[in-house]
Parts: sequence; C-alpha cells; structure tokens
Amino acid sequence: MGGPPLVALQELGPRLFDWGWVSNNLTDEIIPALQGHIFLSFVSVAIALLISLPTGIFVSRYRKAYPPVTFVTGLLFSIPSLAAFALLVSVPGIGLGWQPVVIALVAYSLLVLIRNVVAGIDSVPEETKDAARGMGLTPRQILFKVELPLALPIIVAGVRIATVTIIGIATIGAYVGGGGLGDLIFTGISRNFPTRVIVGAVLATLLAVLADLLLLWVERLLRPWARARRA
Amino acid sequence: MGEFFAVFGRDDFLNQLLVHVELSVVALLIGVAIAMPIALATFRSPFWAAVAINTGNIGRAVPSLAILALVFPLLGFGFTPSLVALTLLAIPPILINASTGLSQVNPQVIDAARGMGLSNGQILRGIQLPIAAPVIFAGIRTSAVQVVASATLATFVGGGGLGDLIVLGLQRNDPAVLVGGSLTIAVLAIITELTFGLLERTFTPKGLLVARKRRGK
Amino acid sequence: MIEFRHVSKTYLGSSQPVVNDLSFEVLEGEICVLVGPSGCGKTTSMRMVNRLIEPSEGEILINGEPNTEMSGTRLRRGIGYAIQQIGLFPHRTIADNIATVPQLLEWDKDRITARVDELLELVGLDPDQYRDRYPAELSGGQQQRVGVARALAADPPIMLMDEPFGAVDPINRHRLQDEFLRIQGEIKKTIVFVTHDIDEAIKMGDKIAILKEGGILAQYDTPENILAAPNSEFVSSFVGADRVLKMLSLLRVSDAELDPPNGNGDLPRLRERMTLRDALSELIGSGVERGVVVSDTEDGVRGTLSIETIRRLSSRAEAGQRGE
Repeated sequence: MGGPPLVALQELGPRLFDWGWVSNNLTDEIIPALQGHIFLSFVSVAIALLISLPTGIFVSRYRKAYPPVTFVTGLLFSIPSLAAFALLVSVPGIGLGWQPVVIALVAYSLLVLIRNVVAGIDSVPEETKDAARGMGLTPRQILFKVELPLALPIIVAGVRIATVTIIGIATIGAYVGGGGLGDLIFTGISRNFPTRVIVGAVLATLLAVLADLLLLWVERLLRPWARARRA
Repeated sequence: MGEFFAVFGRDDFLNQLLVHVELSVVALLIGVAIAMPIALATFRSPFWAAVAINTGNIGRAVPSLAILALVFPLLGFGFTPSLVALTLLAIPPILINASTGLSQVNPQVIDAARGMGLSNGQILRGIQLPIAAPVIFAGIRTSAVQVVASATLATFVGGGGLGDLIVLGLQRNDPAVLVGGSLTIAVLAIITELTFGLLERTFTPKGLLVARKRRGK
Repeated sequence: MIEFRHVSKTYLGSSQPVVNDLSFEVLEGEICVLVGPSGCGKTTSMRMVNRLIEPSEGEILINGEPNTEMSGTRLRRGIGYAIQQIGLFPHRTIADNIATVPQLLEWDKDRITARVDELLELVGLDPDQYRDRYPAELSGGQQQRVGVARALAADPPIMLMDEPFGAVDPINRHRLQDEFLRIQGEIKKTIVFVTHDIDEAIKMGDKIAILKEGGILAQYDTPENILAAPNSEFVSSFVGADRVLKMLSLLRVSDAELDPPNGNGDLPRLRERMTLRDALSELIGSGVERGVVVSDTEDGVRGTLSIETIRRLSSRAEAGQRGE
C-alpha cells in the first residue's frame, strides 16, 4: 500500500504555496467559500438547536423517553460523515447540493445538544426550583426564568462541541456539492495544486478553532461562580 | 437486492475493509504510544499539564479533513501520509483524558500512600493509573471511534479504505456499492464504540464501580 | 524515642517560619499531642517526622539516630500514618488497603491474612463482613477505623496521626477515641497525635505540646500540669476559661479522700469511676453538699464525698503543680 515517495524538499518552497494565486482569487473563490462555509455551519447549528431545545426539555420531564432518544441520536452520530452524505444523496428528492449536507450536520449534532440540554436542566438545584414554585411562578415561568438560564453554561458547552464538529464535517460536504471551504480542498487535490488545499484547510482549521475559543469564552462568562463574582 | 449483497463479495471490498482496519488500528496504537508518555510526563506539573490539555483541546477542534489535506502537500498521496494524519487525529482525546484523569486522583489518597512508604513509581502503577484507568480508556474509546470514522476520508489522499467504495459508488452512480460501503463503515464504527466501551468497563477497578453505583443512589 | 532538635521550617519565598526552633522529646510508649490554633505548624511538624516535609534547620532523631539515615520511603514503612480524610484506596478492598505496608515489606501471604483479620477485630469490625468490601460501602466512622487498622498493619513502633477522628460526628468521635485509648493500653505505641481540639488533646495525650502561631512551642508538659499551671496568657486562654473543671475531669472519685458513711440514705449516688467533674456536676445539680460513693463492682457504700473536698483537691492540685 505504499504511495509515491515523499515530495523532495527543494520542490516544496514555490510549489507549496503560491501567494500570487491567493491574492488573485481572494474575492472570487476564497471569500465566497469562507462565507458559504460559515453560512452552512450557522444554519445547521440553528436548526439543530431548534430541534434539540424542545426535545431536550421534553425528555428532561419524561425520563422514559431519554433512552430511546439517546439511542436514535447516537445511532445517527455513529454513521461516518461521508457515508451519511452518500446515503442521503442517493435518496430520491435530495440529491447533490447543500440539502444532504445540512440534513446530515443537523442529525450529527442532535446527540450532543439534547444530552447537554438535559444535563443542563438536571443541574438546576431542586431547592431553587422549589423556591420558585413557592413564590408562585407557573411551570412555564420557572422554565424560562429559572431553569433555562441556570442550564445555560452546560447548554453552551454542547453548542460549542456541536459547532466545532459541524464546521469540521461541513468541509467534507463539499464533496457532495455543499460548497464551502471543502471545495478548495477537493479541487486542490484533484488538480494537484497544493496552494488551494492549504488555503482551504488552514481557513477551515482557523474557523473551527476560533469558534471553539469564542464559545469557550462565552461558556466561562456564564459559569455560576463568574456570575457570583459580578453579583 | 442481489446486487447489494454482491458488494460484499467483491475483491476490492475485502481489501479496502482490511486497509481501513489496518489504518485505524495502527493510527490508534501509535497515537496511544505518543499521547500516554506525554500525559505521564506532564500531569504532575500544573503548568505543563495545562499546556498538554489546552493543546489537546485545540487539536480536537481541527477538522479531520483539514489534517488529511495538509498532509498531502508535504507527504503526497498514499497509505503513509494517511496514517500520519490519522495518528495526529488520534492523539488529542487520549492526551486530554489521560492528563485530566491522572491529575484528578484524590490528593488525600496519594498523601496516604506516600505517608505509608510507597515510592513514586509504586504510587503511579498501583494507585494513580488504576484509578485513572476508566477516564483514560474513555479517551481511547473516543479516539478510536473518531479514527475509524476519519479513516473514511483517507480515500481523498489515496490511502484506500472503505471511503474508496463510497467515492466509487458516487462516481459511477452505483447505489449498491454506495450503500454497501456506507453501511459497513457505520457498523464498523458501532462495533468499535461497543468494543472499547466493554474494554473501558473491564479496566475499571471493581472498587470504583461500586463507588459509582453508590453515588448514583 | 522521637526527638525534635531545634527544628525549623520556612517555605521558599516566605519570610516567616512555619515551624520555629522546635525542641522536645517524645518518650517511648507515650502519646504526645501537638495542639494549637491553625497556622501553628502542628501538621507540618508531624510530617517532618516521616520526612513528607524536610526541615529547613535542625534535625529529628528517632531512637537516637537522625531520621535522614535511611531513604524517606524506607523510613515511612516503619511508621504508621493516619490522616483526617483517611485516604483509603477506593479501588482496593478493605483487606488490600490494610495489607498495603505488609505487602511492601514482603510478608508471606498467610501472615498478612491473619494480621488483617486480627486488626479488623481490634478496631471493632467483623472480618468476615468487612474484609472484601470496598471503601465506598463503608460509613465515615467505619472508614476511619480501617484507616487506623491500616496504620497499625505492619506493627510499627511509631505512629503519626493527624486529626484521625476528625471526619466523624462528635458521638462517634468519642467512641473512636475511647476505643483507641483501649487499644493503646494493649499495644503501647509511641504516637505523635495532631489536633486542634484542646479537649481531645487532654483526653488522649500523655504529654501535650501547645504550639503558637508561627510554629513556636508555648508549653510542653502533662495535661495535668498544663491545666494546673499554664505558663502564659496564650496557654491559659487556649486551654479555656473552664481550666479547673477540665482538671477535675482528669481525676476520679476514687482518687479523693472520702468521709465515712453515716446512714445518709437519700443523698445522690456517685460511682467510684466517675470523674470529679461529673461528680461535682451531680452534686450541684441536686442542690446538696455531699453524695454517697458506691462501688462499681460490689454492693456497698464506700463513703461520702463533699463539694468541699473537691474544692480542696483542685486547689491543692494546682498549688502542688506550681510548687514542683
């Protein structure tokens, strides 16, 4: 299974990275790819949250539903990404494009998000909810004014993991027509043009790492002890 | 339907399956061989442990395809470049879990052990490693599943593996190959998850299982 | 048997010593209690005996030899060690926990098994029931007993105990203290015992070393002498304003001079083994001057005891100590 020998180092320099190409194609290829990628990721996270929040709240109330929900979302999670894209593409009515990518990305992040919503709600101390009930808040008010705010740090932790995962897997989505930074990578490989590949890969990495750090910072801001210090 | 099952009889199916498993296993083993010594060397110092853990956290955020793609300009196509990339992907979860697991062993237990006359080596082997084992194995499990899933992408840098079948199926518009390949990878991922889950439970000392059960009460 | 010679400890980057020129001697078979407010260096001092912490100055001698003669690890295998949070190994059975040091010393298996059972009995736990359990299955008090058993396992001549009964509720703590004193009566180890509780120090100690903040030795003497004659404002306020009553709790009715009985049927009954403090409490509570002393073992009256006698005893004791 050995491939071609290592590329000779002298060749690496100019062949490896062509800044000229970068400046030439910044606006018509690179920026659109970046924008497309951010858009794809954002939409997927948003849809996933829209599904996971109510589901998570429901499951935290009716614990019997938790095992089957975990099972299904876990199953979805364990299908490797390329396989999932491929399977979705072959479903009539979906085909190539951004649709299979978004569907798969949403399906992947459900497990983490639902699990963290439940964990977040579970972490709210019973005494706090009791006090709220005692003060006359309706269940709906308790949910929105007490439980969800206190559950926020753990939920945000889940959003962080989901976002980073989605940004990463979205790169693969380019292969089935989803666009985004993966496009640069794949065309770069097929045309044997390393600059393209490096630009795509580095930007995708930076995007993922920045999202990770940003959301980590948000998570820290929301932690109870940080809140107490401000109070 | 028949053509679907015929997929599994193909020569290249078996080949690619073996390559996929080979890539995954070797990458995981080397990943453990790199991550564990680093964790063991750094966990005692708060500073270096934090460095290790933060590096691991950043490493986890990096997209799998990006690492495979970055290896390609430097090392070209083939099995070895894919292996290098997958090994790099395997390291972060193990490093993070091993570092955290080892440094979070109850310090009172370690003080008691030192006070009774156990040497540092005996404490590491007899106390810290066994107690941290469940966390370490959870990290190895996460890593294994990630590697098996990412090995699918090795096809893009010529590494072979079951990804080849998926790409083939997409290019030739052959749903049987597509579905066959996809299903196999999914099953492989699930088997990996279950196997390592079992391994994790096996290596959890009985006393810790008992303690866990009690806390759950 | 254990001698502190001008021992000091200052941590790097700090100008104040944590332990300051500590010198005293613990005799063989005695319990020496190190007691004082937080920051007095009592735990640090204890941990210098088995070299978990090394002194900045001075030396510690064990049986006349500096404790640096052998490696720290070897030294510790010969010294029993019991701490407040116990630190039982959660992943090992109770039997394995206790057997730790004997295994290190390579005793043979049968000897270890027998010793484990012997120690479990000694601390009041049924071996058949507890041998194969795990720490998580035991209550705090039971874990503390196992901690003591584990420290005794290799039959070390010296033991270091840092608030070993601290993690338990007061009722169980008293029980553990009594049981430990009973055990010590049988085995007579040399023990350095750390506590912040002066009452525990008085109860447990053959000698007490009171330490001040900054690791300075304020007074080193028997509990009786310290109570009778505290050598400074610090010691007398640390000991407590009820110093004289504490002193009376060290004497028993049987130690006092009894007056002959003369048919005082409805006087309160005082048992021989009662402490004078409890006797005083009983008499004050009944509103009378005098009580009838009865024997624990046989029927029959030994005599009577008056509050006056108790008062005379306490001032005589105080004068006597001061006179020495």
